[in-house]
Amino acid sequence: MKATRSFVTIVLCMVSLFISNSVMAANQAGLDASIEELKAEVVELNQELFELEEQLLYPATTSFAVYVSMESVDDFQVSSIKLNLDEQDVTSYLYSQQQVKALRRGGIQKLYSGNLKPGLHKLIAEIQGKDADGRVLKRSVLAEFGKARSSKYLEVKISHNDKQNRPDFAIVEWK
Amino acid sequence: MRWLCLIAFAISTTVLAEDLMPDQPRSSANDALFGQALFSLHSGDYQKALGLNQRLKKRSGKGYGKILDIHKATAQLGLGMSKSAKQQFYSLISSDKNTIIPNIARSQAWFYLAQHFYNKGQWDTALVSIRKVKVAYIDEALKDEFHFLSATLELFQGDVTKADSHILDISQTSLWAAYAFTNLAISYTERDIHTSKVEAVFNKALLMTKYTTHPDELVDKINLMAGQFFFSTGRGRSAIKHLKNVSLDSAFTPKALLTYGWALTEQWQYHDALQPWYMLKTSHSPLNQDVQETLIAIPHLLEKLNAKVMALGAFDYATKQYDIIIEQLEESAKRLNTGEFIEPLLAQQVPDRWGAFEMVDLSLPNHPDGIYLKDVMGQGAFQGELKTLRDLHVMRSQLNNGLTQLDAFKDVSQTRQLEYQEIKNDKRIISSAKRLGKFEKRYKKLNKKIKVAFKKPDGKGLASESEKIQLENIAAVDKRITHLNQLKDFKSQHYKQRLRRAQGIMKWQLSERYLKRKKKVTDSLALLDRKLKKARAQHNATKLAYVSAPKAFVGYVNKSNKLAKKYQRQLVELEKVYQQQREKVGSIVKLDIKKRQQRVMDYQLQARLAAARLFDETSNKDRSVADAGVSQ
Repeated sequence: MKATRSFVTIVLCMVSLFISNSVMAANQAGLDASIEELKAEVVELNQELFELEEQLLYPATTSFAVYVSMESVDDFQVSSIKLNLDEQDVTSYLYSQQQVKALRRGGIQKLYSGNLKPGLHKLIAEIQGKDADGRVLKRSVLAEFGKARSSKYLEVKISHNDKQNRPDFAIVEWK
Repeated sequence: MRWLCLIAFAISTTVLAEDLMPDQPRSSANDALFGQALFSLHSGDYQKALGLNQRLKKRSGKGYGKILDIHKATAQLGLGMSKSAKQQFYSLISSDKNTIIPNIARSQAWFYLAQHFYNKGQWDTALVSIRKVKVAYIDEALKDEFHFLSATLELFQGDVTKADSHILDISQTSLWAAYAFTNLAISYTERDIHTSKVEAVFNKALLMTKYTTHPDELVDKINLMAGQFFFSTGRGRSAIKHLKNVSLDSAFTPKALLTYGWALTEQWQYHDALQPWYMLKTSHSPLNQDVQETLIAIPHLLEKLNAKVMALGAFDYATKQYDIIIEQLEESAKRLNTGEFIEPLLAQQVPDRWGAFEMVDLSLPNHPDGIYLKDVMGQGAFQGELKTLRDLHVMRSQLNNGLTQLDAFKDVSQTRQLEYQEIKNDKRIISSAKRLGKFEKRYKKLNKKIKVAFKKPDGKGLASESEKIQLENIAAVDKRITHLNQLKDFKSQHYKQRLRRAQGIMKWQLSERYLKRKKKVTDSLALLDRKLKKARAQHNATKLAYVSAPKAFVGYVNKSNKLAKKYQRQLVELEKVYQQQREKVGSIVKLDIKKRQQRVMDYQLQARLAAARLFDETSNKDRSVADAGVSQ
């Protein structure tokens, strides 16, 4: 009788231990899952907020943006870009190695966004960087453009001039 | 296994999630959204990349096919969402039917995936991934690293025999060779291999360290591991040889000094053993576990040297030190409960930077738990949990910032609404329209009148008083001439001519003035007309502005409110999870503190027992009397 009772006690103990372990593991997995879910939700919410901000602060009729792109340029490493809009410095940006790599891999960077009145405007982009030999290279590109009552997008394009074997800089208007 | 973790984290390369992807140039030059997503992804801004990816997918992801899924998985990896990323990646690259990824990119992706999980400590998953890599397709620059990873994972997780071929394939001048041989040596220590073979591998690893980026650090680490291994296998001399080579200012110094002391003790070199232990005791914090062991080891050694009174003093000293350490650990545990332990660390983390590749800033200047925290951070599991807690902390502050921003948006919307209402309620435009209408009416009337006046042949319409008299005089002269013509007996042509000349002069004078007047009136009219037209144009422009007043506030308050609700809900949810994670981290620390306290208490008990024993052995009346004298 005693033996049976002790056997039952041992079995019960083992079962309760197993259950508590399973519960702990389940809790752990549950927490990990909730963290992942939270991360996804936070990313989505922040994106929604970002979109709302863009719509509110830069309405379609006045919005103006400048993008930067760099296509297949191995002999130039951009280090900074400064933008001057209508005789006023509006932004400047310093690039990290990783960001240069990102541009080379086809990324487009939104360098500046703001509001602009309809009319004629002037944009100067001062691009600084290093060439393949490590020499500092500084170039300024200018664009005069008109703006109507609609959004306007410009792109500072760094490309490779195959004929002259040197980097080319230009400001391109997006249609 | 402890060594293993040390090695694993020391050699973790700076791999980033975006490296998991093959190069994919943007397909449309003007697709800014895709370009931006690509830029964010490659530059390590995974949160933005994932957000833009969601936006692209909402836009139905036209023309990008599976690339968006790859981007998504990559960004998820970067943000530490391993589970979702793993699922995505496996479904993408495990299928051979999936022709979107060429063999080279596929092998590379498997390799980086394996490397990622290896660095995260998920070695079983890493092994599955690394076995999928086809060596023929792997980039030349990555081959040595691939063989190292394969060898390590096979050694500790898979088939040991497969590891050898991978190790042999590593170039002898590659930096990975030293790490591979070190791991092989560790594997040997766990597999009951003859010590001479283990020593040969350790020596080989030491030789290879010159090709690594931080050879000194690795040399110290290998020497410590070798020393500890030989000490535990009873080969004191070999242990001493290796431990002696550990530099005195590295992270491995305390452990090396402690083991060195024990190894010398085992070799009966008691005097020499005291030196490293004293050095360890004086130059490191008592919270260091090696120092704690030294505190009891020194009197033990003194006893061996037969300096029993000194040993008794040292045991007493150790007992008191242990009390202080236990108290300090107790205080750390209290600080943990009151939020003074981990919270200052989280508060100093960089805002907006979170994810698997963002390091936790561990510097806690002038904080009592700084030393302990660094010590406990050596544990990989704790590191991972703390990183997750940091992520939640940063996300919480992001959500709070978002709520503040939404409040600001609401203010902007309300200001715009007020501006709009002001424009709409402005009566000036209505009153000016009325006034302008009246003016125009009057102008038309005047114009008509003037036209009529100029058209009157007698010019009466425009004549002044003197001109009217003049006109009357002309009429009188005219009448006189007519009357004279009617008179038959009046023959004086001379008089008639004089009358006609007078009439002519009067008419000429009048017409001159009339013309001048007409010109003046026309000029004035033209001026008035211009002014009226200008006023009308201005009025029309104002009217247009009035009609098209910016209605940019419409719907934004509602949108902001809706989003704010979502944010608040998320914040509540996050707070719950944060507390759970906080408890988890706290329980790890608490458990660790408890273990440390238990260990210190064991040392203290040993010290007390030894002190009591020594007191019995050394008890003599002189000492008792002297003690009594001091207490009096």
